[in-house]
Amino acid sequence: MANRDLDWYLRQAARTRVNRRSFLAAAGLVGGGAALAACTGGATTAPTSAPGSDAPSVGPTTAPEVESEFFLYNWSDYVNPENIETFKAEFGVSNYVYDTFANNEELLAKLTGGASGYDVACPTAEFIPGMVEEGFIQKLDKSRIPNYAHIDPNLLSQSWDPNNEYHIPKDFGTTGILYRSKVVTEPLTSWREFYDLATGKYSQRVVMVDSLGDVLVMPLKMLGYSLNETDPAKLDEARALLMDLAPHILALDSDTYQDKLSTEEAVLCLGWTGPLLELRANPETEDTKYVVPSEGTLFWLDTWVMLADAPHPNASYAWLDFIHRPDIQALETEYNGYATPNVEAKPLVSQELLDDPAIFPPDDVMSNLEGADYLVTDDEGRLDLWADFKSALG
Amino acid sequence: MTAIAATARRQGGRDRSALLTGLLILPASIWYVFLLVAPLAIVVVMSFGEKARNGGYVPAFVLDNYARVLERPDPFLDSLRLATLGTILTMLVALPLAYFLATRAGRRKGLLVLLLVIPFWTSFLIRTYSWLIILGPRAVASFFQDLLGDERFRILGTDLAVLIGVTYGYLPLMVFPIYVTLERMDRTLVEASKDLGAGRWATFRQITLPIALPGLITGSILVFIPMMGEYVIPAILGYGQTFLIGNALVLDFLEARHWPAGAAKAVGLIAVMLITITAYLWFLNRGRQTRDVSVL
Repeated sequence: MANRDLDWYLRQAARTRVNRRSFLAAAGLVGGGAALAACTGGATTAPTSAPGSDAPSVGPTTAPEVESEFFLYNWSDYVNPENIETFKAEFGVSNYVYDTFANNEELLAKLTGGASGYDVACPTAEFIPGMVEEGFIQKLDKSRIPNYAHIDPNLLSQSWDPNNEYHIPKDFGTTGILYRSKVVTEPLTSWREFYDLATGKYSQRVVMVDSLGDVLVMPLKMLGYSLNETDPAKLDEARALLMDLAPHILALDSDTYQDKLSTEEAVLCLGWTGPLLELRANPETEDTKYVVPSEGTLFWLDTWVMLADAPHPNASYAWLDFIHRPDIQALETEYNGYATPNVEAKPLVSQELLDDPAIFPPDDVMSNLEGADYLVTDDEGRLDLWADFKSALG
Repeated sequence: MTAIAATARRQGGRDRSALLTGLLILPASIWYVFLLVAPLAIVVVMSFGEKARNGGYVPAFVLDNYARVLERPDPFLDSLRLATLGTILTMLVALPLAYFLATRAGRRKGLLVLLLVIPFWTSFLIRTYSWLIILGPRAVASFFQDLLGDERFRILGTDLAVLIGVTYGYLPLMVFPIYVTLERMDRTLVEASKDLGAGRWATFRQITLPIALPGLITGSILVFIPMMGEYVIPAILGYGQTFLIGNALVLDFLEARHWPAGAAKAVGLIAVMLITITAYLWFLNRGRQTRDVSVL
C-alpha cells in the first residue's frame, strides 16, 4: 500500500510547478525537483507547452542596437520559457539570465544591498512607492514601448503609481477561498460562511497561506472594514475573530497547501488561484473550487519595472515591449494562469480561461476588490496581531 | 664579537619566527574578525537603532526594541523547550547508535558510517519535506489511524512531528562526537571492570559513560544551538503552528522589515544560549567532580 502512495506523492511532486508567492518551495525545490526526478527514474518535469504555441514570430520591429545580454529578476517560473526562446532568437540576446526571488521583501533587501546588476524586476504594485523613494527604479520612456497601448486603462493610475511613470502591469489576481466541493457541500460565497464552516463542521481541516497581508483580509472584510485598516480599535475586533479561529486551523502554509487540499487533509483554504488549474486538471481533485468572497477581497497586481542602474536599457525596452505583444502575452496567460492586463491579448486566450471567474473576475467582482497599501505592510499594530495569532495556533 | 653575532642571529631568528607565526594566524584572525566579531558588533549596534521608513536601519539609541523582546517572551520559552527536548531525544538515539558503531559494527563500520552520512548529500529542505510523506496521512498516520481506530489521529502539525524532525535533522552532529570518543576507548578498561565483578550496568555507568561524556557534551552543544534558532522544520512539519524565536526573527526581518527589532531578538537569543550553555557546563563540571570521586 505504502508503495503506491509514495509513488503518487512523487508524481505529484514531480508535476508540481514551483508556485509564485511560495517561499520555501522557491528556496529549495529547484534542486529538489531534480532529486525527486532522479528517484522516480526520469519522471518528465518539463512544463507542458501552452496550446496555440505555433503563433508567434511577428516581423521584428526594428530595435536600436539591442545588447546581447538581459538580466531579469523575477518570481520563480513566472515567464513562459517558450517566449524567452522567441525573444532570444528575435533580438539576438544570447545571454538571458532569469534569477528568482521568493517574495517582495527579498527583492527589496537585494536592492538595498547596493547595485543589483539586474535590468528588469517584477515587484507587486504596492512595493513601487518604496522603490521609487529609495531610487531603485527609473521612469519608463513609453515611446519605446508601443504595446503599452494595449494595457487596460482601468488598471492604471492607481495609488502606487498615479502617473504611470514607473511600471507596466504584468498580471493580476485575488486572494480568496479554495475548497473541495466533494466534501464541503454547504453554500460558500462569503468570508462569513468560510469562518462559520472553519470554526464549525470543518474545524482542523482548514489551511491558510502564511501571509499576514492575505489572512488579515478575512476578518477585516467580515467586519466591513478596509483591508488596509490600521485603527487599533478595529484591529482589536479583527484580533478577537482570529483568536477564536486559531484552534481550528490545521496549518499556516504558503508552499504545500495544494498537497493538503489534494489529500483532503484540508478541505477549506484561504489562498491564491495559483494551484487551481492543476488541482482541477487532476481527476481526483477536479472538484476543487475557488470563490472570490462577496464581502470583497485583496486585489494584487504584479508589475514590470526597470532598475535605475539597468546595464542593458535597450534589451530591457525590447523585452518590455515584446512581452506585451498580444500573441506573446496570450502565451504568458496560458502558461501562468493569471489574468492579463492586456486587452488585445485577451481575445487570443482560450475561452475556458476567459470564462473562469476565478482567473478573470467579472466586472461586478472587480469593483469589490481592494489593493494593498504600501504603508500598512509594516504597521506595528497589524504585525503584533499577526504574532499573537501565530502564537495562539497549535 | 662572536657572542654578539650569535645574539644577533638569534634575534633575527626570533623575529622571523614571530613573523611566521603572525602569517599563519592571519587567515584565522581575518576570519574571526570579519565573520564573527564584525557581524556581532553590527547586530548589537543595530539593536539600539530605529527602523527606516522603507525598512532597514537608522542610527539611534533607544531601548524600545529590547522592551518589546521582554513583552513577548513566549517564542524564547517555546524554543528553549523544543531545543531541550530535542537535545535529550537526540542523545537517547545517538548514544546506542554511536556505541554500536564504535564497538560492535566490526568490518561493516566504514559502510555504516557512510550510510549515516549519505542522506546529508541531499538538501536539508528536501529531507524535511520527505518527512511530510513519511508521517503523512497516506503513510504512518494512516497506519496509526487503523491501529487506534481513530480517524482524527495525526502526527503532522503537532509538537511530536517537530521533535521527530529536529532529532532526525541534527542526529549526525550528536553521533559523530560520541562515536569518536568511544572509538578511542581502551577496551581493556571494560574487561578490567568486568574482572573486578562489575555488572553491565555498573560498567556502562562507571566506564563507558564517563569516557563518552566529552563527546556527549560536545554533541549536545552542537545540537542545542541550531535547534534554538530552528524555524524551517516547525514551519514544514509543525504546519506553522509553532511560533519559535526563529519564526519571530523571520517575521521581523522579512515581513516587517524592522531590522532593529529583529537585531534585539537576535541579541536576546544569543544571551539565552550563553546563559543556558554556561549553566549546563557548570552543572556538568560539578557533577563530574563528584563522579570522579565515586569512581575512585
